[in-house]
Amino acid sequence: MSKKQKRVLSLASVFALIFGVSLSANAMHIMEGYLPIGYCIAWGAVCVPFLVAGFFSIRKTLNNNRKSLIILAMSGAFIFVISSLKIPSVTGSCSHMTGTGMGAILFGPAATSLLGIIVLIFQAILLAHGGLTSLGANTFSMAIAGPLVSFGLFKLCQKLNVNKRVAVFIAAAVGDLFTYCVTSVQLALAYPSEQGGFLASTVKFLGVFAPTQLPLAILEGILTVIIFIGLESFAKPELKAVGYIKEA
Amino acid sequence: MIVIDKLCYYSKLRYVNVCEKFLYALITLLFCVISRSVLIAVLVFIANGILTVRKGGIPLSRYGRLMMLPLVFLLLSTAAIIVNFSKVPLDAYAIPIGNFYITGSRASLVFGSQLILTALASVSCLYFLSLSTPMTDILTVLRKLRCPEIVIELMMLIYRFIFVLTAIASDMSTAQNCRLGNRDFRTSCKSFGALGSTLFIRAMKKSNALFDAMESRCYDGTIHVLTENYPPKKNEITAIVLFELLLLAITVWRFVI
Repeated sequence: MSKKQKRVLSLASVFALIFGVSLSANAMHIMEGYLPIGYCIAWGAVCVPFLVAGFFSIRKTLNNNRKSLIILAMSGAFIFVISSLKIPSVTGSCSHMTGTGMGAILFGPAATSLLGIIVLIFQAILLAHGGLTSLGANTFSMAIAGPLVSFGLFKLCQKLNVNKRVAVFIAAAVGDLFTYCVTSVQLALAYPSEQGGFLASTVKFLGVFAPTQLPLAILEGILTVIIFIGLESFAKPELKAVGYIKEA
Repeated sequence: MIVIDKLCYYSKLRYVNVCEKFLYALITLLFCVISRSVLIAVLVFIANGILTVRKGGIPLSRYGRLMMLPLVFLLLSTAAIIVNFSKVPLDAYAIPIGNFYITGSRASLVFGSQLILTALASVSCLYFLSLSTPMTDILTVLRKLRCPEIVIELMMLIYRFIFVLTAIASDMSTAQNCRLGNRDFRTSCKSFGALGSTLFIRAMKKSNALFDAMESRCYDGTIHVLTENYPPKKNEITAIVLFELLLLAITVWRFVI
């Protein structure tokens, strides 16, 4: 990063700290209009430094190789389509993957943050999942927090020489779970309980969404592993192109 | 295919000036969220219903079904707000279970219903925008708002690729269904995995082919498209301004009292 970029990034971080912290002192998309306006702005501000970092990282890869714009766009569309496909479910209800764990493992967390917010805008406008005012909160839980955890766990597992399939499973499932926990915390911060305050409220939100989200996280892990088994047997060159397999 | 995208091309409001629609939807949405008033929510809900269904010509049954989409989230999370577990009963209702009560206060019931109405009104704003404005038009607004060029280009390409990939995915799942895929839970997991990995491979192949095609047509890193221009009409602007002033008046009045 150049000096100017660094300055922009640090400015953005300060901006995020001021707005994010001052308020918090006092596949699950949060729907349009559900969060109070202060929280919409605060979560949006928290996302800004990550998005700026993602933007610079993408611009750097684009300057090195123009072809990667097309690959990045395809990856974004891939995340969107994967997350809009109905997945097999035990209960018969209609559920979807978040696809962010897979995105983070394939493309890295920086690119996923920017692709994630674009995908979320499309999901809001084309599918009415999430919304424009809750975009910041959703971006933080789905495109930043979840992928970061997934990516971190995946790298950690690789360091510890865990079986790759197990690593993919852990990364995808825990990333999904973490997204769901962050969303619950976001809702609880906005709507603390009358009795017991913020903590009680967190527990309530976690509990309400647990029946749908817990099986979904495990399923997301399993499906991601199946997809990766398919990819590793058929798509070595493509995986190399997006950077999943580093050395030849 | 994606229903909302299809419907918005049929909308009679499609050729209304984009900035007008965008600003109307956004400002109304902000008023809904900031004021949290029941009156504004009902007003906005009715106004957007009339605009989308009567003026836009979107079938009422379709609109109704779309409004039902976020219902699960709405009911679950509002339940978490109005239901409490506590040792002391609150004033609205209390059901004793052992030492505890499942209980709630009147204030939270009022708050919960207010929240539901606000959320529904906000969703109607979002639907007004997405059911009258194609994505490409929204991108021209973003360009006017000085969104970075890379991001807009990325969005344009992603928008295009979404349809390419959706078509491939739906073909593949038809093929899988013909060959006894998706029969039960086990086979549908297997089918989904196969679909996901093949989709990725196809996506990468397509993007290589596309890059070659663009390169051979003098692609130099930027994509130039002509935008269609529909000038804003005076009476539409007046109507929007009057409506927003009404909302502003209600908001101010609510805060003063």
